[in-house]
Amino acid sequence: MAPILDIQHVSKFFGGLAANSDVSFSMQEGMIMGLIGPNGAGKTTLFNCITGYYPPSRGDILFEGRRINGLQPDRVCMLGMARTWQKVRPLAKMTVLDNVMVGALARTSSLRVAREAAAEQLRVVRLEHKAAFLAGGLPIGERKKLEVARVLATRPKLLLLDEVMGGLNPAESEEIIQLILEIKKRGLTQMVIEHDMKAIMRISDRIVVLNSGEKLAEGAPQEIVTNPEVVTAYLGESLA
Amino acid sequence: MIVFFQSLLSGVLVGGVYALIGIGLTIIFGVMRVINFAHGDLLMVGMYLTYFLFALLHIDPFVSILVSIPLMFLFGALLQKVFINRVLGSLPQNQILLTIGLGLIMSNTVMLLFTSDYRILTTSYSSGSVKIWGLSVSEPLFISFLITAAITAFLYWFLLKTDTGQAIRATAQDREAAQLMGINVKRMSVIAFGIGAALSGTAGALISPTYYIFPQVGGAFTLKAFVIVVLGGMGSIVGATLGGIVIGATESLAAVYISSGTKELVVYVLFLLVLLFRPAGLLGKSRM
Amino acid sequence: MRALHAPRGLALLPLLAFLAVLLALALVPAFASSPYALHVMILLFLSIIMGESWNVLGGYTGQYSVGHAAFFGLGAYVTMMLMQFKQVPPWWGVWAAVAVAVGVGVFIGAITFRLRGPYFVLASIAVAEIIRLVALNWKDATNGAEGILSTEIPPLSIGGRLITDFGSKVPFYYAGLALVAMTIAANWLVQHSKLGYYFQAIREDQDAAHSLGIHLALYKNIALAISAFFTAWAGSYYALYVGFIDPSTVLSIDISVQIVLICIIGGIGTILGPVVGALVLVPLSEALRSNVIYEGLQQAGIVSEGSRIGSFLKENLAHAHVLIYGILVVIVILYMPDGVLGFAKKMAARRAARRAAAAGGSR
Repeated sequence: MAPILDIQHVSKFFGGLAANSDVSFSMQEGMIMGLIGPNGAGKTTLFNCITGYYPPSRGDILFEGRRINGLQPDRVCMLGMARTWQKVRPLAKMTVLDNVMVGALARTSSLRVAREAAAEQLRVVRLEHKAAFLAGGLPIGERKKLEVARVLATRPKLLLLDEVMGGLNPAESEEIIQLILEIKKRGLTQMVIEHDMKAIMRISDRIVVLNSGEKLAEGAPQEIVTNPEVVTAYLGESLA
Repeated sequence: MIVFFQSLLSGVLVGGVYALIGIGLTIIFGVMRVINFAHGDLLMVGMYLTYFLFALLHIDPFVSILVSIPLMFLFGALLQKVFINRVLGSLPQNQILLTIGLGLIMSNTVMLLFTSDYRILTTSYSSGSVKIWGLSVSEPLFISFLITAAITAFLYWFLLKTDTGQAIRATAQDREAAQLMGINVKRMSVIAFGIGAALSGTAGALISPTYYIFPQVGGAFTLKAFVIVVLGGMGSIVGATLGGIVIGATESLAAVYISSGTKELVVYVLFLLVLLFRPAGLLGKSRM
Repeated sequence: MRALHAPRGLALLPLLAFLAVLLALALVPAFASSPYALHVMILLFLSIIMGESWNVLGGYTGQYSVGHAAFFGLGAYVTMMLMQFKQVPPWWGVWAAVAVAVGVGVFIGAITFRLRGPYFVLASIAVAEIIRLVALNWKDATNGAEGILSTEIPPLSIGGRLITDFGSKVPFYYAGLALVAMTIAANWLVQHSKLGYYFQAIREDQDAAHSLGIHLALYKNIALAISAFFTAWAGSYYALYVGFIDPSTVLSIDISVQIVLICIIGGIGTILGPVVGALVLVPLSEALRSNVIYEGLQQAGIVSEGSRIGSFLKENLAHAHVLIYGILVVIVILYMPDGVLGFAKKMAARRAARRAAAAGGSR
């Protein structure tokens, strides 16, 4: 079966620095891929390349068999790939509902349809009670949920989550994990950048490990956890 | 052919003064990321300061810069501390509007105090000329270029070799990192704005023997300063230096070969062309 | 499926209020025959139109143009030139003027909206200056600094029936009122459409908006086109009303700053904001111009006629309006960045919070 996302020998240079170096892997539809690695490994850079913030310096990115290098972020979203941000980006002066509507308007021009779709997504992430609140006033946990709702409203086929559990307490993280599993049940493919190893182990079908821009390892969660190179790269972090 | 080289040389000499304006603006932008729309009005203040020092105390404009430089520096530092500092964290749009407002206050206060009458500062050498390489150039222009070169050289030395200068460059490169390294970034901002104001005011002083002096003279210079800075790459001092000279030369040649009324038009059109084809500036070193 | 909150639709109360105000304003000329009163109302209308137009681009979309005089001036000049030099009646000429303005706007947008950074602001100023210099120097086409005087606006007849000969201020009053109604209606429509949501998303966070499928340059250009359209209308209207234009009145940066001021004083990004801004600025500048303030100070005994301060004020207060604008900009930016409306909202919210805290504490 053709992969939904195919990263082929992608490198990204900033001046002399290789933020990504010859990274290759592919994702099958419906799976959850965990993307892990120490800080500075190039995970967010890869996300940015995939979603069109900048083109890769080398290599190809294929989405549903189509080469998407150099497409602008809005085109990438319309094709069916959406991402959340490591540092949340709520549309602060707009309400929670309006935020999600902006996402929904990617697929419709009718405000009524967008409002219903947005309301539905808010129910999925359990934020519907905050619909009329200004997004800028939400605590961090709810901002993260808002961002997921907003991005789901664009009806993506592939969802890229960048440290969506960062800064959350265990209860909030658990909610997100359940959300991710719920999203998987709906048939969406997901790539998740995360530092919380327990979470990654629970949700991922496969894991890719980046280190200093290069792909260090790829495999099933159990393989990764017992891989000595991975353990070394994460020196000091508990993988249990 | 002589006409071409003559106007080119004139343009380069004027360009040196333009470079001062551009360097000032780019330092302010580099350190604070603020687009100073009052930059031309600071130049105007420098012009009036020089004019009154000459008219009332008979101090030669090229000598009085020894007084205007520290005074303009203090004025700039004051503006930064009282006004600009309060919007450093705000939306760039608000920063722009604030500096526009300050510029309007400056130019209109001067207009109220001294009327809109055009003033001229005539010295004994205002219409003198000097021969360089067989070409004849205006004497005050030549002297101002020499002074500009000296100031620019001093500025480069200051930024490259002194602790404060390096601290300023560090702040411009990465404000957070500089702060973590113990640099007082607030003080750097004050100094940067002071330097910017001093450079702009000095440029005003240097051109006062050859330009009409009136309250609204700043506006065109502000825009010209932006063209210079965009041309050279925002945040690049070398770029601003080159940009100033290019703009000076372009203006001079346009005045001669097209018409003197449209020389500014040419500069603005050049600006749009740069944005269209090379927004990172000639040297491609824009900080944006 | 339970609705999350009351359906927005056409909010009935504001619409009724709006229509009521329009009706009241429409009846004004029947009662107030003073030409000066009508003149002030017309100035108010002009300011509101200019403010609401800028708001679409600056307030909703967050792109601050400080060169809107370009569109205002183009509206004025093209309409005037067509009327005076080619005998094209202004109600046709204005369409050409608007087309030119929108064209220039999209041109600026095409160059700058693909760039990150303050380039749009700078380019807007540069283009306004270019147009002003062209108008100043292309004497054959525009009379240069002498400006263009309108000799007579042709009478407006529809189907052989004379509507007006533009002899008094009254037809201008109604034209202005109609324009205000249209501009506010357009703003409202934008706010309650996909465009409005996208504009605001761009203002709040460009990158986030981009990643949500919003084509940044396209939507910024749409906002710019709408803004240029109505600003050019305002310029044409001004030209016909005043009857004389020159580069320094309709193409100067003072106009651009004034337009921005109308919006930021009232409250950026709201429909009522420019109205509030106009209600503050127009009386203020009229008071300055007509020496009312000086006379007021004199009557209050603060300033005496013969004193130096007195004569200084008497001579200069009338010209000081730009200085006052500058001071207002600084004050608003430093203390009321959300304008009068935003300030009022904050005060109300603070009072409500204090009341809630007091009520909670007294338990």
